[in-house]
Amino acid sequence: MSNKNRYFLKARIFDGFNILFILMVATVVLIKPSQNQLLDLKFNSSLALLFFLVGIFLSSVLSQKGFLTWGNLIFKSSSEKPPQPISWYKTLWGWQALIILTLSIVVGLVMTNFSFYEILNREGIDGALRLLTGIFNPDWSILPRAVNHMIETLFMAFIATVLAIPFAFVLSFFSARNVMESRVGFLVYLSLRTFFNIARSIEAIIWAIIFSVWVGIGPFAGMLALMIHSIASLAKQYSEMVESVSMGPVEGIKSTGAAPFQVVWFGIVPQIILPYISITIYRWDINVRMATIIGLVGGGGIGTLLIQYQGQAMWPQVGCLVVVIAVVVCLLDQVSAHIREAVK
Amino acid sequence: MSETILSIKNLSKTYDNGTQALADISFDVKKGEFLVVIGLSGSGKSTLLRCLNRLLDPTSGQIFFHGKNIENTKGRAVFSVRKKIGMIFQQFNLVPRYSVLTNVLTGKLAGMGVLKSFFSLFSVEDKSQALDYLKLVGIHEKAYLRADQLSGGQQQRVAIARALAQKPEVLLADEPVASLDPATCHVVMDYLRKVNQELGITIICNLHFLSLVREYATRVIALKDGKLVFEGSPDQITEDWFQKIYGEGAREIHVQ
Repeated sequence: MSNKNRYFLKARIFDGFNILFILMVATVVLIKPSQNQLLDLKFNSSLALLFFLVGIFLSSVLSQKGFLTWGNLIFKSSSEKPPQPISWYKTLWGWQALIILTLSIVVGLVMTNFSFYEILNREGIDGALRLLTGIFNPDWSILPRAVNHMIETLFMAFIATVLAIPFAFVLSFFSARNVMESRVGFLVYLSLRTFFNIARSIEAIIWAIIFSVWVGIGPFAGMLALMIHSIASLAKQYSEMVESVSMGPVEGIKSTGAAPFQVVWFGIVPQIILPYISITIYRWDINVRMATIIGLVGGGGIGTLLIQYQGQAMWPQVGCLVVVIAVVVCLLDQVSAHIREAVK
Repeated sequence: MSETILSIKNLSKTYDNGTQALADISFDVKKGEFLVVIGLSGSGKSTLLRCLNRLLDPTSGQIFFHGKNIENTKGRAVFSVRKKIGMIFQQFNLVPRYSVLTNVLTGKLAGMGVLKSFFSLFSVEDKSQALDYLKLVGIHEKAYLRADQLSGGQQQRVAIARALAQKPEVLLADEPVASLDPATCHVVMDYLRKVNQELGITIICNLHFLSLVREYATRVIALKDGKLVFEGSPDQITEDWFQKIYGEGAREIHVQ
């Protein structure tokens, strides 16, 4: 397909979706469908497809007649001459863009049940004030418990990071393109990268739910969840470091007759050790923050305490926990930034 | 000047992207020679050297090292070929964060066990040898500095010491002075000659400047578009040959 055709096709698809959106909104407003009709996916998607085709047809006709649609404006090939500078309200694309953007905002507000009435509701405001008064008057008597659980969280994150390091370190070489040169190597590289992407796209909180069923609610489940997530994240970041090393020293070591392990150990590792440390400390920092959230679903630590007090509406106690979390996260953020700066 | 140490027969190399870098090259290398390979950039000089120590796999042809074909060796045997045919590079290819001494010691890696290399357990003998080689290239005072603190010429001398630590029989030099200034050029070339004459190591060296070729080479081969177009002694490169190798209208640049 020539470049020009590709741009033309993209513009048509873009306009097609625009008109699909407008027609769908119009249909909903006009016939006010029932709940059952809204759930009829088969009929609705056929309707959407019909509208899409209508849109593509309309957009083709219009652009054949020399009108500049929004799609044409966005996906123009660089060889085309730029449009004449005229005020936007005299152009088709201007109105098209205005309608689409306005419509999106209106639909979005309706979808999220946006309501000034609820925001200004007296009862609601009172409830929120009660909660905030509680939080802003922390109950310091539970501070020792909070600190103990915070320590649990810190170590949960620490052990998760430490246990993830050896796995991630070894796997990072097998998932670096410049190390896995052979055909078999490429397959290993590809499958590992896919595995990491899948493991990372499953949020740590989901892993925590899985492990809290597996090994029981508590810090162990939380630690395992963080570890799995850390292995995938660290291995991906590590392997990107491996891929960015300069290949000169690698070739130099190879030329001495060194075996593959020696080439990696002497040619690549010295080049990546500092970025590795920096990435790992940052991962610990992230893990402490994630460990708090993971506690909410039974991963142990301060998050579990938080969800207990919250469930019983004990707001002054929640306030105390919030302060402890905020202080620790801030401190750790500073410390890790300083260390990372120092090892650069 | 008697025994043939390397014999290259009908060597060809085509890269995966379809570029043919070497086309049917045959020549012999005698023990103790200082053989210089000349030719334009892209004529296949670097590819040729990398095929000789099997950093690259040739597409076809044979390479006989002491009469034994090393073109089809596989696995560990390749490592021992590389150990016996050392190499230095245009960009020196030292490990920048390691000390000069450690860089030289990496020349001892071939055949060393996994555990020993994991903990960098080089023997006392290895270390004293490494220092000797540093002394040979006149840089032993910098042994404990980090390699990236050295100038280009000094780094190339460390690279020579690393290659010597392998106890090679042949030393390949891929544009060893192309990233150096003219003054340093001669220092490095003089050390290569010293290695060649005092240790009797055969040298195959890619060079750009004809004035250096005339000064150091005992024999010259020329590549053009991956083919061998000239083989002879340095003083046989006449103006005519020069035009043939480098193309019409090429002019010679002299390095003092």
